[in-house]
Amino acid sequence: MTAKTPSFSIGPRGWVLLSLLASAVWASVTLDLDVRRLVPTEGGWSVAAEFLARAVSPALTYEAAVVPAGTQPLLVKATEAARMTLAIAAAAMSLALVAGGTLGLCASTFWWRGTVRGVRRRFPFVVAYAGLRILIAVMRSVHELFWAVLLLAVFGLGNLTAVVAIAIPYTGVLAKVFSELIDEAPRDAGDALDGLGASRFQAFIFGVLPRALPDMGAYAFYRFECALRSSAILGFFGFPTLGYYVTASFENLHYGEVWSYLYVLFVLIALVDWWSGQLRRRLVA
Amino acid sequence: MSANPFRDARVTDDRETLIRRLWQDRPRSRFVHWSGGLLLALVVHGWMLGGVNLSDVLSPQRWQNVERFLTELRPFPLQGRAWDWSVAGQWTLELLREKAWPAAVTTLAISVLAIVLATLGALLLVLSAARTIADAEPYLPGPRPPGLIRRLGSGGVVAGTRALLTFFRAVPEYIWAFLLVAMLGPTAWPAVLALALHNTGVLGKLGADVVENLETPALEALRGVGGSRLQIAGVGILPAIVPRMLLFVFYRWETCIREATVLGMLGIVSLGYWIEDARSRNHYDEMFFLILVGALIVLLGDVLSEIARRVMRTQQ
Repeated sequence: MTAKTPSFSIGPRGWVLLSLLASAVWASVTLDLDVRRLVPTEGGWSVAAEFLARAVSPALTYEAAVVPAGTQPLLVKATEAARMTLAIAAAAMSLALVAGGTLGLCASTFWWRGTVRGVRRRFPFVVAYAGLRILIAVMRSVHELFWAVLLLAVFGLGNLTAVVAIAIPYTGVLAKVFSELIDEAPRDAGDALDGLGASRFQAFIFGVLPRALPDMGAYAFYRFECALRSSAILGFFGFPTLGYYVTASFENLHYGEVWSYLYVLFVLIALVDWWSGQLRRRLVA
Repeated sequence: MSANPFRDARVTDDRETLIRRLWQDRPRSRFVHWSGGLLLALVVHGWMLGGVNLSDVLSPQRWQNVERFLTELRPFPLQGRAWDWSVAGQWTLELLREKAWPAAVTTLAISVLAIVLATLGALLLVLSAARTIADAEPYLPGPRPPGLIRRLGSGGVVAGTRALLTFFRAVPEYIWAFLLVAMLGPTAWPAVLALALHNTGVLGKLGADVVENLETPALEALRGVGGSRLQIAGVGILPAIVPRMLLFVFYRWETCIREATVLGMLGIVSLGYWIEDARSRNHYDEMFFLILVGALIVLLGDVLSEIARRVMRTQQ
């Protein structure tokens, strides 16, 4: 045995790292970024200092000098906004679950790669499968804010617009992940049922799906958390969720109020996070 | 669930009884049941909010709206005329040259720079956020048990760093961007930094968890021969976490591209800027085209990151 000659090779991972760095250099040249522009103006500093200082002292009442009579107290309004945020997220998720679940089941390779009956490889099926995949990819790759922009032009500013705008990309994501989870779930039970002469459909429902269901549930709950965030962000377009009040307060320079709304959002997300953690522990044992 | 129905089944049990017993003894959790009920209630509440009026949605006026909208999606020079490929091609090229292409490049550049900065930021914070290496006596007990002050100090460093990461992550990108635009004015920096800050929070947390879950023998050995924290980190920890971190980086990069397109709506010239601009002028043809371009670069990012992940997997 001769000793290995030490040779310099960086390997695939090294190449990935190098190209990452190279593209960062490309990016900063393209964006024409000047480090000197990173130093905020004096006004900039005071804005930042004021904003961050209010993080520890969020407002409990309105900061405006004159509050119109009959306005709800700030905390009531924040709770109301949180309720809207939650409601829109829940409605959107229910829609996405139905649509994404259906698409995801259809897009799982179980149906398309015939293990026993090879008939499914025929041309029309291949086209249908490709079409399904493209549909899922398009739904997923347009941001919910852009779906909102498109739908606003058609349906106007209503809660349904917000619900559908969130539901479409989430359908795409759920469909993609569900189909992957089903593909990765153990096939033993499904194959056994197949061997016993169960129909394709029976084998799927009783053999394959139950193995993937806990993971699917856990993932769906995680997406619910994301939907809350999306729902809050949609407020920037005038939907009555938390984002709406955040922008309004920000533009009025009422930073304390901004933090009050943000903390309500944090609490909401933390609650759902805790809930989904508890559920995941029980579902994916 | 202590009872095993298979074991408890008496030999005399017929199949029906066995199945019934299995069903009775299936794992059940009151928590899951109540959660399901609560979720259902939330969904029902969501749909009863109002603003969801089916008769309104299906009214003929709505459909006229939809029809008008669809005709307005046609390239402007072709509206109300027969389709002509040369005109459509010219319209597309012009839009691409003037807006879509530069904005798409900007969007990509913002996302790349943001994710690289976020990675560097996360790497800086990962060590002090990991309980194992930031411990008063990392990996091996020292000659004497650490005093109260040193224990509190290291605990404080970990808790502080974790809190900072949570803070970065909890504030949405858009809020960071709002603040940074107010601070720095309308350059590309606010978009880059907003995405970088948020993702530093995400990557830092994921990275710290990876560090805490590392196999310890090698690190204990390094400590045993007198390695300092920095030395252990440089030789033992960093090389070990790079593969996992890179996977996370590429996952996050995909979301970065999505968010970078949208951040243009705050006045930074990425795709979102022109989309918002087209929307405010009611140029739906242009808006639709630009949204499609946005979808394309998101897909491109997906493909690129999938390739990178596959390349790295070949090495493992």
